[in-house]
Amino acid sequence: MSKHLKHCARAMLVAASALLLAHPASAESTLDKILSAKKLRVAIDVANPPFGVLDKNGQPDGSDVAVARALAKDLGAEIEFVQVPSTGRIPALLAGRADVTIASISVTTDRAKAVMFCNPNGALSITIFGPQSVHIKTPADLVGKRVGITRATLEEATVPKMAPEGTKIVWFDDLASTVQALLSGQVDAAAMTAFAEKTVSDANPGKHLENKLLVTTAFYGPIVRPSDFELRQWINTWIFINTQNGTLAAIYKKYTGVDLPPLPTF
Amino acid sequence: MPPARRAAQGLIDAVPGTAKRTFGSGVHYVFHFNVVWDHWRDLAGGAWLTIRLSSLALVIGMALATVCAYAKAAGPGALRLIVAAYVEVIRNTPFLVQIFIIYFSLPALGIAVGANEAALAAMVVNFGAYGTEILRAGIESVPHGQIDAARALGLTRLQTFRHVVLFPALKTVFPALASQFILLMLASSVVSAISAVELTAVTNSLQSTTFRPFEFYFFATALYLAMALGFRAVLGGIYWRVFVRGRRS
Repeated sequence: MSKHLKHCARAMLVAASALLLAHPASAESTLDKILSAKKLRVAIDVANPPFGVLDKNGQPDGSDVAVARALAKDLGAEIEFVQVPSTGRIPALLAGRADVTIASISVTTDRAKAVMFCNPNGALSITIFGPQSVHIKTPADLVGKRVGITRATLEEATVPKMAPEGTKIVWFDDLASTVQALLSGQVDAAAMTAFAEKTVSDANPGKHLENKLLVTTAFYGPIVRPSDFELRQWINTWIFINTQNGTLAAIYKKYTGVDLPPLPTF
Repeated sequence: MPPARRAAQGLIDAVPGTAKRTFGSGVHYVFHFNVVWDHWRDLAGGAWLTIRLSSLALVIGMALATVCAYAKAAGPGALRLIVAAYVEVIRNTPFLVQIFIIYFSLPALGIAVGANEAALAAMVVNFGAYGTEILRAGIESVPHGQIDAARALGLTRLQTFRHVVLFPALKTVFPALASQFILLMLASSVVSAISAVELTAVTNSLQSTTFRPFEFYFFATALYLAMALGFRAVLGGIYWRVFVRGRRS
């Protein structure tokens, strides 16, 4: 190889590695990008009534969706919904498919290791429910019972911890499958939010489903990628304003039928 | 850290860029492959169920396919119609829907079926239909004169099918059957939807409790690739043993 060619090759190598390694020191923040593109990508879970559902026309609806729309409006951005299953709520955010996930994600210390929570914008309870014929009065009664739960939910994080040894926990990928398993008798009981429980009970009066146990009560809020501090601060400001002016309370009441409890901040 | 794990971690660290990657939209994600090793028992358990389900589905499904192919080639008209309907219904409907029907509707008929049994049943029914169609092609490739000769020598229909038709037919379509089987093994990933705890189910659970989706999905991908190549090697060995060396002696 001639000396000239060698120089050329080395220069190309240096240029290529510079391209690969270069990362602008003053990278545009996610908030800057949203404001300049006037587009907000929000990951939502539309299989989680009453927080996220599809209406009769197949359009996203629910309290999470209403919050996301109001938030995008105040950002002056067009909203783009990224529909994900419950297991995709955090991965979609981490992979950069969405800027923020608004899908009633309960605040837990484990989740906070992967993503950043904004201040809570709602609260929910996880309960275990099942047909009247199934005897469950205390956690000890769960022994030997098949209890259906949905992956990547608060029930997955709490039910295995409270259930005594001998409880047969059965995992499903989405809430619809968990509900179907309960209705078809593949599980004796299922854990989900009290709101989802009410939706399922009301839609299936013949199954005589009833509330058995309260597992936990938790607050949920939007999540952003770690290091997206500017976006988190803007959303927290938005939550503060809309807690004060009653918008969040109105949305919560409209979709859940109950009053929004006082929201803590952190 | 045990030596094997340290060596494996060393390998990962040695590959430039594995520790930290930048995605297209400037999203930072720091890889922590340690978490995969922490859960290797769960992952191995999931992979083992995938292997067991697939192997059992292969054996039972092949038996079903052979019976159906025989019925389609030599059975009475009504039976042929039933087999044809079975093959067409299964080949023209989604596997996930077949699984849901078996898992969610059998209890309504009073048949208790667990997730693993329902998954196996769905895989057998699915592979049986594709296997029937592939075997039918093999059977049609056997020259008619060969069958006439066997009948002339006094072999019964069943004996002719077994010794004169099935063996060369299987040899002809073996590669196609092997490919179909690999497809089934990979498709078994959707049985996590009915709570069977195979490799994809374990991966989904681990990623949702550890919040390390990419590490676990990459590892599961590698495991599926290894299982597919392993099954191919075993099937290649069976082909060589039965159809190549077995014929020579």
